Amino acid sequence: MNETELRSLVERMVAELAGQAPSSSGKTTSYQQADHASSGEMLKDITEIDLRKQYLVKNPYNATAFLELKAKTPARLGMGRAGARYKTETMLRMRADHAAAQDSVFSLVEEDFVKQNNFVAVQTLCQTKDEYLTRPDRGRRFDDENQAIIKKTLGQSPKVALVIGDGLSSAAIEANAKDCLQAVRAGLKTFGIDPGPALFVKYCRVGASDHIGELTGAEVVCMLVGERPGLVTAESMSAYITYGARIGIPESKRTVISNIHRQGTTAVEAGAHIAELVKTMLEKKASGVELAQMERGRGA
Amino acid sequence: MTETLKSVGIDIGTSTTQLVVSELTLQNQSNPFSVPRVAITEKTIVYRSEIYFTPLLSDTVIDAKGVREIVAGEYQRAGIRRDEVQTGAVIITGETARKENAREVLSALSEFAGDFVVATAGPDLESILAARGAGVDEISKDKHISVLHYDIGGGTSNLALYSNGHLRATSCLDVGGRLIKIDAGSKRIAYVSPKLEGRFPGVVRGAEASEALLRPVLDEMIQSLLEAAGLEAPSALLEFYTTQGTKPMKASGVHLSFSGGVADCIYTPPADWLAYGDMGPLLGQGIKKALDRRGVQAVQGVETIRATVVGAGAHSMDVSGSTIYYRDVSFPLKNIPVLRIDPMEESGDLASAISEKLRWYADEGGLSQVALALEGETSPSYSRVIALAEAIQAGLAPLLQQGFFPIVVLERDLAKVLGQAMAPTISGTLLCLDGISVSNGDYIDIGAPVAGGTVVPVVVKTLAFEKK
Repeated sequence: MNETELRSLVERMVAELAGQAPSSSGKTTSYQQADHASSGEMLKDITEIDLRKQYLVKNPYNATAFLELKAKTPARLGMGRAGARYKTETMLRMRADHAAAQDSVFSLVEEDFVKQNNFVAVQTLCQTKDEYLTRPDRGRRFDDENQAIIKKTLGQSPKVALVIGDGLSSAAIEANAKDCLQAVRAGLKTFGIDPGPALFVKYCRVGASDHIGELTGAEVVCMLVGERPGLVTAESMSAYITYGARIGIPESKRTVISNIHRQGTTAVEAGAHIAELVKTMLEKKASGVELAQMERGRGA
Repeated sequence: MTETLKSVGIDIGTSTTQLVVSELTLQNQSNPFSVPRVAITEKTIVYRSEIYFTPLLSDTVIDAKGVREIVAGEYQRAGIRRDEVQTGAVIITGETARKENAREVLSALSEFAGDFVVATAGPDLESILAARGAGVDEISKDKHISVLHYDIGGGTSNLALYSNGHLRATSCLDVGGRLIKIDAGSKRIAYVSPKLEGRFPGVVRGAEASEALLRPVLDEMIQSLLEAAGLEAPSALLEFYTTQGTKPMKASGVHLSFSGGVADCIYTPPADWLAYGDMGPLLGQGIKKALDRRGVQAVQGVETIRATVVGAGAHSMDVSGSTIYYRDVSFPLKNIPVLRIDPMEESGDLASAISEKLRWYADEGGLSQVALALEGETSPSYSRVIALAEAIQAGLAPLLQQGFFPIVVLERDLAKVLGQAMAPTISGTLLCLDGISVSNGDYIDIGAPVAGGTVVPVVVKTLAFEKK
């Protein structure tokens, strides 16, 4: 089957499901139920169902016990089955979650979002999403024009450079960056640190931290970046914090706080934790594995 | 990161006094790429004392010196010093909690036992600690069943109902082996608890004890135990035996488990029913017969006579959430009463709700230090955090003016950001904790930070001494 045939097949199936086209196959089934839209009724948004509370097995031995287990994991357990296959609802939910993940990779952070939060916008060498996805190296460096903006915004040798990067999930940034950054700023203020304005980097890879560190001589570069989305959430953000970031610094020198999202570490509490981490890094003049080893030496 | 804390548990019960030493292992359970999440991962009992009869000076006064000597002697035998003990709890239980000097003995002993050994009492807490000490919470969780646990001691039976690992209800009955004591030599009744005085003909001090004489007493007690589990229809008897200040237990369709001294008499009764100079052995055997007759098979816990002391030593302490805020706090903080705001008030005018409730805690001497407890929000925006910080500060203003400091205890993961938000506008001491659920009427004890300063040990308790 070639691509055109496949496309037309998929189109026909979608149309059939929506009840817009007569079935071309021999086994005619009428899809009378699919007429919600015309009656003005909205279809239920299946992505709003909390998977941890959804249990679809018929006649279970002990549903309460299973739900207790399910409360601990977002994994798609206890979904029941139709013959050897998923139930329709499960299959659609999987595809909806997958679509959300893809959307968050391919969409851009709204320009209004950047403006409203007074972020200073810059862009890596990448010019399009496709280039960003296929050329990670170009997502780590800036051209002359953007370099000038970075230097002007952050000044020379700031204590902390705050950076927001779209990374692989624009949805994660729009959901978490604002609240997290406000908490980081407030936290830093309690330690007497004023971080100055924040950069927003379009088409951003974590390694862009290093170029920013190199250009400004910032002691700590703290980057909030969208994580590669999964089927659990498309809104997960990470913070990569590097002491003495410069081009060529090993990855082991970064400290990362991942899983910042509504069901993980919340944006505000993560922000408070990040602020304290930055303070510790400034005191110890280290980050990443090096910092973890110092902490271990001090602690238990 | 792994760290162990040495914890001591001391139980001064109606009949026996015991001590255990346990080691609690703290571990960061989150991966290295996440915010830390420190939890108690292991609890090991490393030392069990002998079981002593609780020394009394009279029927109404505890022999404080005697109790202290027992503890000092057991510390020596266990090879531990006071300054090594990082946490733990002393619990005073059953009829002993009603003695005249119970409160003094308790606080003196917790001081004597260690810096952060907390004083606890109260029938509800005792029920919980006994059930946890016997491992019933774990059993109900692992097997996904409901278990009604009875800790039957000398003076009281403490009941706790767990389903799927969650506590559902507690209760207490004035049912115990030592409510009537018998002189082993003369076989004469030496003591009758005020609760039972005059209720049973012939059961009086000085009367010769026999199984037949005590039979009506035992029948009533056993009947009340069965009614609590729904094995018999609840009657006035259940009300009568339910300890003042607790609610009658009305369970049904549950598994049963037993601990306490009388539990030993269910499973392994002594040959001579007068062996302990009380009616414990008869009560144990009576319970066994009643269960057998109904074909009820009890769930067996991990501890019997030591359940309460193990509960106090290993299960009384919890740790706070791992992202918290503290500044200039002199730990430990002990016996801080909890002022709980309910969720409805939390979303409304929080500041007024706080200052309103604060007045309840004022006495002639003015206000006293309290811990403000809130649920908090699941994933708030930063502006909500600021609003919360401002409302708390405004609501607590009268307290702060009198020189006390804010202690905020939240359920949701929010403490560090809230603390940082409050820090610039509050001078001096400030403490925000999360991951802790407390109610009005609870008291909270907070120890010095452990696990590299990420968490603080917390003991939540109710110190409600029964009114005579």
